[in-house]
This record gives sequence, structure tokens and C-alpha cells, in this order.
Amino acid sequence: MSDILRLPAEELYKAELDALIANEKDPVPTGWRMSPKSVLTYIMGGKSGNTVITPKYMGDRRIAEICIATLVTDRALLLIGEPGTAKSWLSEHLTAAINGNSSRVIQGTAGTTEEQIRYSWNYAMLLAKGPSHEALVKSPVYNAMETGTIARIEEISRCASEVQDALISILSEKRISVPELNEEVAAKKGFSVIATANTRDKGVNEMSSALKRRFNIVVLPAPANIETEIEIVSTRVAQLADSFGLNAELPDRTAIERVVTIFRELRSGQTLDGQVKLKTTSGVLSSAEAISLLINSMALAGSFGNGVITDYDLAGALQGAVVKDDNKDKAVWTEYLENVMRKRSGCAKLYAECRERNS
Amino acid sequence: MAAYFGVRHLSPACAYYVREFLDRNDPEIVLIEGPSDLSCLIAPLCSNETEMPAAILAYTEDTPVKTVLFPLAEFSPEYQAMRWAVRKGRRVMFCDLPSTCLLSRQNNEDEEREEDKPKRVSVYTELERVSGTDNDSFWEYTFEQCESYEDFLEAVSEYGKSLREFSENDEHNKLREAYMRKVISECEAEVPSEKICVITGAFHTAGIKDIPFSADDRKLTQKLPTIKAKATLMPYSYYRLSSRSGYGAGSKAPAYFELLWNSRLEGAVGSSSDRYLSMIASYQRENGYAASTAEVIEAKRLADTLAAMRGGKYPSMTDLRDAAVTCIGHGSFGEISLACADTEIGTKIGSLPEGTVCTSVQEDFTRQLKELKLEKYRKAAAEEIELDLRENLRVKTEKSAFLDLNRSFFLHRLRILGICFAETQLRSQDNATWAERWRLQWTPEAEIEIVEASLKGDTVKQAAEYELNFRLYEADSINGAAMILSDAFDGGLTDCISTAVSAIQKQTADCSSAEDTGKTIGTLSSIVRFGSIRRIDTEPIYPLMEKLYLRFCLCMPSAAVCDRNGVEQLIIAIAAVNDACLAHDFLDTDRFITLLSDIADNNFANPLLSGYACAVLTERGKISSEKLSELINRRLSAGTPPAEAAMWFEGLARRNRRSLISRLSVWEKLCSFVASLDDDEFKPVLVALRRTFSDFSPAEKSDIAENIGEVLGISKEAAAEFVTMQLSGDEQQSIDELDDFDFGDI
Repeated sequence: MSDILRLPAEELYKAELDALIANEKDPVPTGWRMSPKSVLTYIMGGKSGNTVITPKYMGDRRIAEICIATLVTDRALLLIGEPGTAKSWLSEHLTAAINGNSSRVIQGTAGTTEEQIRYSWNYAMLLAKGPSHEALVKSPVYNAMETGTIARIEEISRCASEVQDALISILSEKRISVPELNEEVAAKKGFSVIATANTRDKGVNEMSSALKRRFNIVVLPAPANIETEIEIVSTRVAQLADSFGLNAELPDRTAIERVVTIFRELRSGQTLDGQVKLKTTSGVLSSAEAISLLINSMALAGSFGNGVITDYDLAGALQGAVVKDDNKDKAVWTEYLENVMRKRSGCAKLYAECRERNS
Repeated sequence: MAAYFGVRHLSPACAYYVREFLDRNDPEIVLIEGPSDLSCLIAPLCSNETEMPAAILAYTEDTPVKTVLFPLAEFSPEYQAMRWAVRKGRRVMFCDLPSTCLLSRQNNEDEEREEDKPKRVSVYTELERVSGTDNDSFWEYTFEQCESYEDFLEAVSEYGKSLREFSENDEHNKLREAYMRKVISECEAEVPSEKICVITGAFHTAGIKDIPFSADDRKLTQKLPTIKAKATLMPYSYYRLSSRSGYGAGSKAPAYFELLWNSRLEGAVGSSSDRYLSMIASYQRENGYAASTAEVIEAKRLADTLAAMRGGKYPSMTDLRDAAVTCIGHGSFGEISLACADTEIGTKIGSLPEGTVCTSVQEDFTRQLKELKLEKYRKAAAEEIELDLRENLRVKTEKSAFLDLNRSFFLHRLRILGICFAETQLRSQDNATWAERWRLQWTPEAEIEIVEASLKGDTVKQAAEYELNFRLYEADSINGAAMILSDAFDGGLTDCISTAVSAIQKQTADCSSAEDTGKTIGTLSSIVRFGSIRRIDTEPIYPLMEKLYLRFCLCMPSAAVCDRNGVEQLIIAIAAVNDACLAHDFLDTDRFITLLSDIADNNFANPLLSGYACAVLTERGKISSEKLSELINRRLSAGTPPAEAAMWFEGLARRNRRSLISRLSVWEKLCSFVASLDDDEFKPVLVALRRTFSDFSPAEKSDIAENIGEVLGISKEAAAEFVTMQLSGDEQQSIDELDDFDFGDI
């Protein structure tokens, strides 16, 4: 096992990527390592020669097709969705498959500056030698243009508008000019950008329509049905537990189903059978949150219990995940416990534990 | 051997190549899959005045009505084959089972279908699994985009064979194919067999091609069951075409298929994708959304790439739509859903030449239009018509004396049938008894609805009666049934009236809701009062009303104890019954008065209702002034919770305001009541009183103010001076505090 906390996708799935490249039959676009069809296989799972390709994105195949087709044309791709709908995950795997390098990332924050998108200077060098190639510090986008690869921009809507707008000229003209050196870098074939944005941040820094126009926008939905979500959660929990080396047993299917059910019900504001209307919480209850909740319970059980997740562990983790904003969420959670969970068969123990925690 | 062409219904590519097929084979006789007894409808269908889409409708004469429908569009291969034959003057016939037989088999099948059949996975689901693309896209990539006649013919025949291999062939299809073989062999007796072209669904082609008519077939087709049936052409619409699901009966995207058809005719197969995206963009622009040409270009590129990834030459509709969502809709389907509906489904409505559509209802409709002199309203522009239902004394014949009444009957019947030709307008008097205003407008949609009405009966009247009887059967509340009775009156449907009366009678027994009973009495009362103008005997309703009236009086005392939510409906019911009592002598008025006095006197009844009962009594002069002042004293006394007191007063003020205003003693009582309240009690009372007076007119309000001034001994001038004075800080603050007032449940 590697001692790196989190390996990038291209290293984690190196064997699969190599197999896909080795078995390539279709034409490969310029700057890509494999054909669009192979990228699709890598993302959605399947077989390549004798190697089994695990599915990376469990959802609508069509969405992956649209994403890949967008990148085949020279358009940039914008993935939009609720938190925890695998936007960054998908973007990382797309770049890993297409370029074999998912590390050209700019994290969008309120503090991101225009220099981080274009280029900046090594000031010591700049003072010593004046503007020169050695003093130039290239941004991931700059690098991607030079090499004809794909750059990723995470949470683009967290950046200030003027920083976002720096991208407009890059995306439409596909070149960055460096007036200090009297130079211009033109993007090589294969350059593109994958950006992600969060619907919960809508309105924080609304993207200008000029910028939006340069992206093909794909909305990633929450998992369509409970079976898909349970599959996503159990797969990811198993993967993560393995890489963290948690000293606990994997949660059984009932536990996962219970957590996913609670999350889905609170997310949609009604019970799965549509019989009871519920209030929703202020926090986001995404599949990603459910995964981290289960990992958290495993850590609790492994470190302080006997290695098996008990209702006690689950109740503690649930309380933390659901009740974020004290008063309102607490009321929502109490209502859910009393109206739904108490009446559900097989949940008596979990209900008692949860109630104790929430009181 | 005869030449066979297997088609997929409503497929532009098939429609295009079927013409070439016929040109090459040049047959004497063209046989098409369709009910063989309806070949006579082919000629009007192919007339130059006909605009597609249209449909052939066959229906049984007896109830329950069964129907079979064959919709056809411009791009139906069958339709193009018919046009070819008619243009060239060749014989063209349908070769499937006669509609009379199809309909009679439908009767039996419904019963059989209930039994559980072992369900095989549909061949289309299987196809999707194997090809990895959805069934519609697969068809588009493989067939619609095919650009060579030979390839297409081969592909389609292979398709038909495979369909047959992987799906079940049931008894019904076997019979149909035996029949088709029979028709073919009959034709072969007349002309050389190579002069015959057979155009059927690809599935059947594989079953009839080069198979001779055998002795078994003869046995099978010898005695076909039949049922009495009629058939007609009817105009159809793209919307209806798209809302019918299932193979052959409809198409999910008729307007898009028309695009495909047109680009075929122009000889540019792939050009439909540009047009689709431009149409989406222009729809968006027309409706106030931004959609640039750049976005259309991007969408086109994305659609091409998507198609290439799935192995298509040109984008399919799914590709186009996904690309449009991504590039023009900014990722959300909602943004372009209307544009998609407009481009894919479209709003086209067909039309047929005068006289070709002939159900008896249509004939009846046209005849009545003529008879009632309404023909000039049969046009696209809307026009209003005023009807005076009274007998016109200045004319000689009875027919013209009651022209407007008969018009009203006719228009009401159309309204009952939901035919959008006639629409009632609001009348200036709300209880108008003799005047009606209608808005008439002829639309192709109305024509379709009239044809559909033929399923319900042979004449407009019969159809309306059938419709009302059906609704009566479905009606679950007594007032619902009464409304139907009222419809029957409006439409002059005497047969329905007696059925409706007995239906109401039956429901009366089960109905224990005072609210419903009261409203029903109201509905019936207006029928009885104004029935005479429609020259309909209202006698049978009297006993029904008496019965309901008694029930109402018995239910009401217990219903009167209710909460704020229920009381408004009860007030409506009481008002209705009160009106009925005043209008009809045969109702026992004393019983109603006693009922009202009880409610007025009952401390537990809802205060609003109690006050209202008191108001009705005052209005009718059935309460002595001593009793009234006793009630006012009691209700506005310290023992009553202030909020209830105010509600009671609100009820009292609902009716008969003038007499209330003129009674000074009332205002004295109200003043002393308000004066007795402490601060906390005052606020809810203030809210209720404010609500009470809000719908009084300014003149009434100033009269009340004067009354109160008199009670308090304040002159007008002094009051005016006080009211217009600047508010002090304390006063302003207490008014502001009212903003935080918790209304709770008042």
C-alpha cells in the first residue's frame, strides 16, 4: 500500500489506463492518449482485452458521452451540480484518461487572482534579471496550453468576477499574451478547460453570460434511484476504507441502505413512498456526505469499539451530518425521528440512539 | 411474384423509398395494410384539398363503443403509396382484415388479455441492450439516414425478418396475415402477379412474402366474426399523433419527422439537424430568451460528435436535443423544453375537404347550424352572439319564436360535449334568466372534437345525453349530480333530467352533509325558478327539493358547531336555502325560521354562523326587537370571549346593513362592549371589527361613525378635529406595535 494519503486518479488506475491504451482500436484525437470511446469505457466501466475496467461514474451514460464529445470539439466543459454529485471526481477522471495527468488544477476561491490563471513572476529573479523566461511562473492553464492538454478549474463560481473574466480571452482566442516579454503563447491542439461550479453557490459570483457562452454546460444530477446511490456509497466506502487502512469491518448493506434512505428522504423533503412530507435541512445531504459519514462511523468503531459499526456509532455520525445549524436542523431531525424512523420496522434501536443524541 | 415492401409506419425514409419502389415496379394494383372494407376512403384522403395529418376512424355502433384508429401523416409510407396510385390512376386497396372484424375481435381480446400471458422481453428492449443505443436513435442512424435505395430495401427486409425471429407471432397476427394472403391471391387471379405491389409493416412482409394462400388459410378466413360498425375520415393533429404511444399508432416527434421528410425531398438528408437547432434557437428568441448563432453552431458540432461516438452518420434527435440542452439551454432542459415541444411535436392540424368527413354527428351538427341560422359563425374569427330565450311574439311560426332558445339548447349541448366551438361569456346580470352571451369560433380542433363525439351517439343531442349519463354515473357528490341536472336543463335534455333526478334521490339517502345539501337546494331552486323559460316541466323536482330541505333542517343544528374553516361554506348554504324558501311556497318556511332561531340562540354554535342566522332573521322580520337586544346583550357581554363576540358581530353585519345601522341600540351595545375590554383583549377584537367593516361602503361607514358619535356624545366637528390631529409619540408607538400582532387563528 502506498503511503500517499490520496493518489491521483492516473496512478490509482494506472493498470486500467494502460490496458485501454494497449487495446486501442479507434482513432485517437490529437493530444489525447486514447479514443473517445475508450475514455467512455474508462468512466462508465466495461472490459478492455482481459482487464476489467471498474465504473468511475455511476449515473447516466449519456452525461459522460456529452462531456467527452464536448472535449473532442474545442469547447470548454462546465460541470454544474449540487455539492457531492461527483463533479470534481468526473473532471479528475476525464483528465486522467485523456491526458494521463489530472494535476493541472486551479482551485477557485475568493482569493484566487488573475495571475493564478495566467502567469506570475518569481520576483527575486525578476529583480535580478528583469523580465525573462526564467522569471516567469506559469499557471496550470498556461502549462496546459503549451502542452495541448486539459486544465481543470474547481469551483469557478467562488472566484471574483474579474478573475473569471480572465478566462474569456483564453477560451475564445486560445492564446495568452505576455506583453513583458513581447510574446504570445498559442494553445496547442488538445487544449481545453473543465470547470466545476456548485449550484448552492449560485449568486455568490454569478458567471457572466459572456463566459457561460464559452462553456458547454452539463448538469450532474443527484443519483436517480436508491439502488444506484447505495451502489455508489458502498463502492466508495470500500475503496476509501482500504486506502485509509481502517481497523473496522465494512458496514453491511442494511446500514448503508438506512443511511442512504435517511439522506434521500431529507434531501427530497418526503419519504421514499411519498406518503409523508418532511422539512429539509439547511446543510447538503449528498452521496459524498453519506460516504464520509460511514467512513467516520467505521473510524469510531475501529478506534473505540470492537470494529463493527453499531447503531450507537451511526447515531453519533448521523447527528453530526444532519444537524448543522443548531435550532432549525435539530427540529427537522426530531420531526423526522418521531414521524418516520420511529414507525419504521427494524429501526427501533437506531431510533432510540438517535433520540438520545438529539435531546 | 408480387413485389413486397416492408415499411415502418410514419417513417420518412420508408415514405421516400416506397415511391421509388413503385416507380420501378410500376404495378397495376397497390395493396396497402389497412382495413379492406374501407378502401373507399382512399380517394378523399388523396384529394388535393386534403391536408395531412388525417386519420381513419372505425367505431362500433353499439355501446360500449370500440374504436380503431389509423393515423396517417404526410410522411407515412402508406399515404405516399396511395398518392402514387391515385396520381397514376392505378387501383389501390387495403388488404388487412375488415374493420368490422377487427372491432369484433377487439371485444374478445380484451377479455383474453386479462389472463396472464408469459411475457417475453420486448424485442426493442433487447435491441437496445445489444446495440447500446436507444431504439429510436438506432432506427434513425440505420434507416432514416440511409441514402441508397438498394441498401435501404435490403436493410428493411432484414429488419422485418429479425423482428419476426425475435418476437412472438400471436393468433391475431396469424389471422391477419392469412387474410392478406387471401386478398393477394384474389388479385393474382385478375392481373399478372408481378403487377401487384404489397405494402405492409416490415413484420408482416416477412410473413406473407412468397407464401401462397393455402387451404388452412381458407379455413381460417372463411367465417370472420363481424360487428356493426361505421367508419369515417377525420382530421388529425400532430399533438394527438405524439400523445398516442405504441408502434404504428403514433410518432413521438411528428414535426421532427416532417423535417426529415422535407430534407429528403430536397435531397439533403443531413440538413434537418441544422434546421432543428435553428428552429430551437429562433423559438427561444421569439420568446425572449437569448440564443445566438454561435450557440447553434456549437450545438451542431457537439451533436455531430455525439453521433460519431455512437456510430451515426448524422445526429439523431436524441443527439440534437442533448446538444441543444447543453449549448442553447445552458445545461437545463427546462429552459428549452417549450422550444423542443414546438420543434419536435409541432402544432399542425390537418383538414379534409368539405363533405368527406361524414359521421352522423357531423351531419347533424351542420344541419342544426343551418336550421338555427348559425352558419355565419362557422369561421376562424371569434364572434359574440346574444341570445334572448323568451318567446319572440312578433314572429309567426313557433320555430322562429323560440329560435334563440333552441340555439341555447344546441350551444349548451356542445359545451357539455367539450367542443370548443362555443364558449359561454359572463353575463351582465348574474342571475340572468333569459339572456345569454356566447362566443363562437370555428377551429380545426373543434372539428376533431365533433368527430370524437360521434363515439357517444348519432346526433349532438344523443351524444350530450350519453356524456351526461356517464358523468352522472361517475358523480360522487350530491351537488355534483345537481350540477349535472342543471346542465341537462340548459341543454334541454329531458331524458337526462329524470335520470339525474333519480340519481340525486338515491344520493340524498347517503348524504349527511348540511353544506352539500344546502348548495344542492340552491342549484335545484334556480332550475325550478328559471326552468319555465326553457319550457321544461320542473314538476318532478319539487318532491326532491322538499326531501332535501327536510334533511338540511335536520342536519344543520349539529353542523352549526364547527370551526372557522367550515363556517364560510355553511353560510353559503344557509343563504342558498333562504333564497329557495323565499322563492318556493311549497317549502315549509316555519321549519327554517325555527332552525335559524335555534342557531341564533345556541351559545355553542359557531359565533359567526350564529350572528349570520340572527341577521337573516332580522332581515325577514322574524325576530322580535326584545329578543334581538337580548341576543346582542348576551353576545357582547363580559362572559363571552372578546374574539368570539367580535366574530358574532361580523356575522350579524353580513346582511341587511341598513337596518343594522338604523338601530342605535346596537351601536350603544357595541360601544360599551369595546369600552369594557382591556388592552390585550382589545387587539383581537380590533382585527375582527376592522375586517367586519372593511367591505362597508364609505357612506355606510360615515353613518356608523355618526351613530357612534351620538352614543358617545361627540359632535361631528370634534371628531373630525381629533381624527386629523397629529399623532403623539405614544400613539404612534402603539400603532407600530400592532405590526407584531400575532393573528393566531382569528
